[in-house]
Amino acid sequence: MNSSGGMSGPLYFEDVTVGDTERFGRYEVTREEIIEYARQFDPQPFHLDEEAAKASPFGGLIASGWHTGAMLIRMLNDHSIPRAATTGALGFDDLKWVKPVRPGDILSVETRVLEKAESRSRPEIGVVKVESRVSSQDGELKMSLVSIVLYRRRP
Amino acid sequence: MKYWEDIKVGDTGDLGSYTVTEKEILAFAKKYDPQPFHLDREAAKRSIFGGLIASGWHSCAIMMRMSVEHMRREQLAGVGSPGIDSCRWLKPVRPGDTLTVRTEITESWRSKSRPIGFVRRRADMLNQHGEVVLTVVGVGMFERKGEPRPARRADT
Repeated sequence: MNSSGGMSGPLYFEDVTVGDTERFGRYEVTREEIIEYARQFDPQPFHLDEEAAKASPFGGLIASGWHTGAMLIRMLNDHSIPRAATTGALGFDDLKWVKPVRPGDILSVETRVLEKAESRSRPEIGVVKVESRVSSQDGELKMSLVSIVLYRRRP
Repeated sequence: MKYWEDIKVGDTGDLGSYTVTEKEILAFAKKYDPQPFHLDREAAKRSIFGGLIASGWHSCAIMMRMSVEHMRREQLAGVGSPGIDSCRWLKPVRPGDTLTVRTEITESWRSKSRPIGFVRRRADMLNQHGEVVLTVVGVGMFERKGEPRPARRADT
Protein backbone atom coordinates (compact mmCIF):
# COMPACT_ATOMS: atom_id res chain seq x y z
CA MET A 1 0.00 0.00 0.00
CA ASN A 2 1.25 3.43 -0.87
CA SER A 3 0.24 6.36 1.28
CA SER A 4 0.46 8.74 -1.66
CA GLY A 5 -1.78 6.67 -3.92
CA GLY A 6 -4.20 8.90 -5.76
CA MET A 7 -3.98 11.71 -3.22
CA SER A 8 -3.67 15.34 -4.07
CA GLY A 9 -2.56 17.99 -1.61
CA PRO A 10 -0.53 17.33 1.50
CA LEU A 11 -0.86 14.17 3.55
CA TYR A 12 -2.39 14.88 6.94
CA PHE A 13 -2.41 12.71 10.06
CA GLU A 14 -5.76 11.28 8.94
CA ASP A 15 -4.22 10.13 5.63
CA VAL A 16 -1.55 8.01 7.33
CA THR A 17 -2.40 4.34 7.92
CA VAL A 18 -0.49 1.93 10.12
CA GLY A 19 1.25 -0.55 7.82
CA ASP A 20 1.72 1.93 4.94
CA THR A 21 4.95 0.97 3.16
CA GLU A 22 6.98 2.81 0.52
CA ARG A 23 10.27 2.16 -1.23
CA PHE A 24 12.24 4.98 -2.80
CA GLY A 25 15.56 6.77 -3.13
CA ARG A 26 18.85 6.32 -4.89
CA TYR A 27 21.92 7.72 -3.15
CA GLU A 28 25.31 6.98 -4.65
CA VAL A 29 27.97 7.02 -1.95
CA THR A 30 31.35 8.34 -3.05
CA ARG A 31 34.73 8.20 -1.37
CA GLU A 32 35.01 12.00 -1.69
CA GLU A 33 31.75 12.60 0.15
CA ILE A 34 32.61 10.10 2.91
CA ILE A 35 35.92 11.90 3.53
CA GLU A 36 34.35 15.38 3.29
CA TYR A 37 31.69 14.56 5.89
CA ALA A 38 34.26 12.85 8.13
CA ARG A 39 36.65 15.83 8.02
CA GLN A 40 33.88 18.10 9.21
CA PHE A 41 32.03 15.93 11.71
CA ASP A 42 33.61 12.53 12.41
CA PRO A 43 37.39 12.59 11.86
CA GLN A 44 38.18 9.01 12.85
CA PRO A 45 40.83 7.21 10.75
CA PHE A 46 38.44 4.59 9.28
CA HIS A 47 36.23 7.41 7.88
CA LEU A 48 39.10 9.59 6.63
CA ASP A 49 41.98 7.61 5.28
CA GLU A 50 41.93 4.52 3.03
CA GLU A 51 45.22 3.12 4.32
CA ALA A 52 44.34 3.57 8.00
CA ALA A 53 40.90 2.12 7.28
CA LYS A 54 42.44 -1.01 5.74
CA ALA A 55 44.28 -1.65 8.99
CA SER A 56 41.10 -1.07 11.05
CA PRO A 57 38.49 -3.67 12.04
CA PHE A 58 36.44 -2.48 9.03
CA GLY A 59 39.07 -3.45 6.43
CA GLY A 60 38.50 -0.34 4.31
CA LEU A 61 37.00 3.13 4.21
CA ILE A 62 33.47 3.37 5.67
CA ALA A 63 31.02 6.24 6.04
CA SER A 64 30.33 7.79 9.42
CA GLY A 65 27.11 6.34 10.78
CA TRP A 66 25.81 9.88 11.24
CA HIS A 67 26.60 10.50 7.58
CA THR A 68 24.34 7.57 6.67
CA GLY A 69 21.65 9.25 8.77
CA ALA A 70 22.19 12.48 6.83
CA MET A 71 21.86 10.55 3.55
CA LEU A 72 18.58 9.10 4.83
CA ILE A 73 17.15 12.53 5.63
CA ARG A 74 18.18 13.66 2.12
CA MET A 75 16.28 10.76 0.54
CA LEU A 76 13.27 11.56 2.74
CA ASN A 77 13.48 15.20 1.63
CA ASP A 78 13.53 14.13 -2.01
CA HIS A 79 10.43 11.96 -1.60
CA SER A 80 8.27 12.01 1.52
CA ILE A 81 8.78 15.26 3.38
CA PRO A 82 7.52 17.75 0.76
CA ARG A 83 4.18 15.89 0.51
CA ALA A 84 3.60 15.45 4.22
CA ALA A 85 1.85 18.01 6.41
CA THR A 86 4.44 17.69 9.17
CA THR A 87 5.85 20.16 11.65
CA GLY A 88 9.09 18.20 11.98
CA ALA A 89 10.22 15.23 14.03
CA LEU A 90 10.71 14.87 17.78
CA GLY A 91 13.62 12.53 17.16
CA PHE A 92 14.13 8.82 16.65
CA ASP A 93 14.52 5.56 18.55
CA ASP A 94 16.34 2.31 18.00
CA LEU A 95 18.88 3.40 15.40
CA LYS A 96 21.01 0.42 14.35
CA TRP A 97 24.13 0.71 12.22
CA VAL A 98 23.85 -2.83 10.91
CA LYS A 99 26.61 -2.95 8.27
CA PRO A 100 29.22 -0.42 7.15
CA VAL A 101 28.40 1.88 4.21
CA ARG A 102 31.26 1.97 1.69
CA PRO A 103 32.24 3.95 -1.42
CA GLY A 104 30.24 2.69 -4.41
CA ASP A 105 27.19 1.68 -2.37
CA ILE A 106 23.89 2.85 -3.85
CA LEU A 107 21.43 3.33 -1.01
CA SER A 108 17.64 3.28 -1.02
CA VAL A 109 14.97 3.43 1.68
CA GLU A 110 11.94 1.45 2.75
CA THR A 111 9.56 3.17 5.16
CA ARG A 112 6.74 1.60 7.14
CA VAL A 113 4.23 3.28 9.45
CA LEU A 114 4.35 1.46 12.79
CA GLU A 115 2.01 3.48 15.02
CA LYS A 116 -0.09 6.63 15.09
CA ALA A 117 -1.68 8.47 18.00
CA GLU A 118 -3.51 11.74 18.52
CA SER A 119 -1.71 14.23 20.72
CA ARG A 120 -3.52 14.80 24.05
CA SER A 121 -2.01 18.21 24.64
CA ARG A 122 -2.14 19.54 21.07
CA PRO A 123 -5.39 18.74 19.28
CA GLU A 124 -4.04 20.01 15.95
CA ILE A 125 -1.20 17.43 15.95
CA GLY A 126 -0.83 13.67 15.63
CA VAL A 127 2.28 11.61 16.37
CA VAL A 128 3.36 8.98 13.83
CA LYS A 129 6.14 6.42 14.28
CA VAL A 130 7.78 5.51 10.99
CA GLU A 131 10.47 2.88 10.54
CA SER A 132 13.10 3.63 7.89
CA ARG A 133 15.36 0.87 6.58
CA VAL A 134 18.36 1.90 4.45
CA SER A 135 19.76 -0.82 2.17
CA SER A 136 22.39 -1.05 -0.55
CA GLN A 137 21.90 -2.14 -4.16
CA ASP A 138 22.46 -5.81 -3.25
CA GLY A 139 19.69 -5.68 -0.66
CA GLU A 140 21.99 -5.59 2.36
CA LEU A 141 20.43 -3.72 5.30
CA LYS A 142 22.81 -0.95 6.37
CA MET A 143 20.85 1.09 8.92
CA SER A 144 17.41 1.22 10.46
CA LEU A 145 15.65 3.59 12.84
CA VAL A 146 12.18 4.60 14.01
CA SER A 147 11.36 8.30 13.51
CA ILE A 148 8.79 10.09 15.65
CA VAL A 149 7.09 12.52 13.29
CA LEU A 150 4.51 15.22 14.08
CA TYR A 151 1.72 15.40 11.49
CA ARG A 152 -0.89 18.14 11.32
CA ARG A 153 -4.53 17.11 11.61
CA ARG A 154 -6.75 17.75 8.62
CA PRO A 155 -8.17 21.26 9.09
CA MET B 1 45.61 5.11 26.04
CA LYS B 2 42.35 4.59 27.95
CA TYR B 3 40.46 1.36 27.42
CA TRP B 4 37.01 -0.02 28.19
CA GLU B 5 38.14 -0.95 31.73
CA ASP B 6 38.97 2.70 32.41
CA ILE B 7 35.40 3.86 31.76
CA LYS B 8 33.10 3.46 34.78
CA VAL B 9 29.35 3.64 35.21
CA GLY B 10 28.57 7.07 36.68
CA ASP B 11 31.52 8.79 34.96
CA THR B 12 30.52 12.22 33.71
CA GLY B 13 32.19 14.21 30.98
CA ASP B 14 32.24 17.64 29.40
CA LEU B 15 32.85 17.66 25.65
CA GLY B 16 33.79 21.34 25.34
CA SER B 17 31.90 23.97 23.37
CA TYR B 18 31.01 24.72 19.75
CA THR B 19 29.53 27.86 18.21
CA VAL B 20 27.25 27.30 15.23
CA THR B 21 27.34 29.67 12.25
CA GLU B 22 24.54 30.50 9.85
CA LYS B 23 26.85 29.57 6.99
CA GLU B 24 27.26 25.99 8.18
CA ILE B 25 23.54 25.61 8.97
CA LEU B 26 22.76 26.61 5.37
CA ALA B 27 25.52 24.40 3.89
CA PHE B 28 24.34 21.31 5.79
CA ALA B 29 20.70 21.98 4.90
CA LYS B 30 21.49 22.45 1.22
CA LYS B 31 23.30 19.14 1.06
CA TYR B 32 21.16 16.94 3.33
CA ASP B 33 18.01 18.53 4.74
CA PRO B 34 16.64 21.25 2.41
CA GLN B 35 13.46 22.09 4.35
CA PRO B 36 12.63 25.83 4.18
CA PHE B 37 13.21 26.49 7.91
CA HIS B 38 16.77 25.08 7.60
CA LEU B 39 17.60 26.64 4.24
CA ASP B 40 15.91 29.99 3.72
CA ARG B 41 16.10 32.85 6.22
CA GLU B 42 12.89 34.52 5.04
CA ALA B 43 10.84 31.32 4.82
CA ALA B 44 12.14 30.36 8.27
CA LYS B 45 10.85 33.65 9.73
CA ARG B 46 7.36 32.75 8.54
CA SER B 47 7.60 29.18 9.89
CA ILE B 48 6.55 28.00 13.36
CA PHE B 49 10.21 28.33 14.39
CA GLY B 50 10.31 32.10 13.75
CA GLY B 51 13.79 31.97 12.20
CA LEU B 52 16.47 29.78 10.74
CA ILE B 53 17.18 26.57 12.70
CA ALA B 54 19.76 23.82 12.20
CA SER B 55 18.73 20.39 10.91
CA GLY B 56 18.46 17.95 13.80
CA TRP B 57 20.89 15.73 11.91
CA HIS B 58 23.32 18.66 11.87
CA SER B 59 23.04 18.97 15.68
CA CYS B 60 23.81 15.25 15.95
CA ALA B 61 26.80 15.67 13.62
CA ILE B 62 28.13 18.51 15.82
CA MET B 63 27.72 16.28 18.89
CA MET B 64 29.71 13.56 17.08
CA ARG B 65 32.46 16.06 16.25
CA MET B 66 32.67 17.09 19.89
CA SER B 67 32.76 13.41 20.96
CA VAL B 68 35.62 12.58 18.58
CA GLU B 69 37.65 15.54 19.84
CA HIS B 70 36.95 14.46 23.42
CA MET B 71 38.06 10.86 22.66
CA ARG B 72 41.27 12.24 21.17
CA ARG B 73 41.98 14.52 24.14
CA GLU B 74 41.29 11.68 26.59
CA GLN B 75 43.08 9.10 24.38
CA LEU B 76 40.08 6.78 24.51
CA ALA B 77 40.40 3.63 22.39
CA GLY B 78 36.98 3.92 20.72
CA VAL B 79 36.11 1.56 17.86
CA GLY B 80 32.71 2.82 16.75
CA SER B 81 29.09 2.31 17.74
CA PRO B 82 26.41 -0.31 16.97
CA GLY B 83 23.60 2.21 17.37
CA ILE B 84 21.56 4.78 19.27
CA ASP B 85 18.73 3.96 21.68
CA SER B 86 17.05 7.33 21.45
CA CYS B 87 17.58 10.83 20.08
CA ARG B 88 15.32 13.79 20.93
CA TRP B 89 15.49 17.21 19.30
CA LEU B 90 14.08 19.18 22.24
CA LYS B 91 14.74 22.80 21.22
CA PRO B 92 15.84 24.46 17.99
CA VAL B 93 19.53 25.21 17.41
CA ARG B 94 19.97 28.68 15.87
CA PRO B 95 22.84 30.60 14.23
CA GLY B 96 25.25 31.96 16.85
CA ASP B 97 24.27 29.41 19.52
CA THR B 98 27.16 28.18 21.63
CA LEU B 99 26.62 24.52 22.42
CA THR B 100 28.10 22.42 25.20
CA VAL B 101 27.66 18.70 25.81
CA ARG B 102 27.67 16.84 29.12
CA THR B 103 27.77 13.07 29.23
CA GLU B 104 27.16 10.29 31.73
CA ILE B 105 28.00 6.60 31.45
CA THR B 106 24.93 4.59 32.48
CA GLU B 107 25.92 0.99 31.69
CA SER B 108 28.98 -1.08 30.79
CA TRP B 109 29.41 -4.67 29.62
CA ARG B 110 31.96 -6.92 27.91
CA SER B 111 31.50 -8.41 24.49
CA LYS B 112 31.30 -12.20 24.70
CA SER B 113 32.56 -12.75 21.17
CA ARG B 114 35.09 -9.96 20.52
CA PRO B 115 37.99 -8.37 22.44
CA ILE B 116 36.00 -5.19 23.11
CA GLY B 117 33.63 -3.72 25.67
CA PHE B 118 30.44 -1.68 25.35
CA VAL B 119 29.25 1.37 27.27
CA ARG B 120 25.87 3.09 27.19
CA ARG B 121 26.13 6.88 27.37
CA ARG B 122 23.61 9.66 27.77
CA ALA B 123 24.67 12.93 26.17
CA ASP B 124 22.82 16.22 26.69
CA MET B 125 23.59 19.17 24.42
CA LEU B 126 22.82 22.59 25.95
CA ASN B 127 22.73 26.07 24.47
CA GLN B 128 24.12 29.25 26.03
CA HIS B 129 20.81 29.77 27.89
CA GLY B 130 21.21 26.42 29.68
CA GLU B 131 18.39 24.81 27.69
CA VAL B 132 18.83 21.18 26.68
CA VAL B 133 18.47 21.18 22.88
CA LEU B 134 19.35 17.54 22.16
CA THR B 135 19.54 14.32 24.17
CA VAL B 136 21.16 11.22 22.68
CA VAL B 137 21.42 7.86 24.46
CA GLY B 138 23.71 5.51 22.57
CA VAL B 139 26.20 2.67 22.81
CA GLY B 140 29.94 2.96 22.20
CA MET B 141 32.52 0.21 21.64
CA PHE B 142 36.02 0.37 23.13
CA GLU B 143 39.14 -1.78 23.00
CA ARG B 144 39.91 -3.83 26.10
CA LYS B 145 43.16 -3.52 28.02
CA GLY B 146 45.80 -6.11 27.19
CA GLU B 147 43.73 -7.66 24.40
CA PRO B 148 44.85 -7.77 20.77
CA ARG B 149 43.31 -4.98 18.69
CA PRO B 150 39.94 -6.13 17.30
CA ALA B 151 40.52 -8.11 14.12
CA ARG B 152 38.84 -7.30 10.88
CA ARG B 153 35.21 -8.20 11.30
CA ALA B 154 34.10 -11.39 9.67
CA ASP B 155 31.25 -9.57 7.96
CA THR B 156 33.42 -6.96 6.22
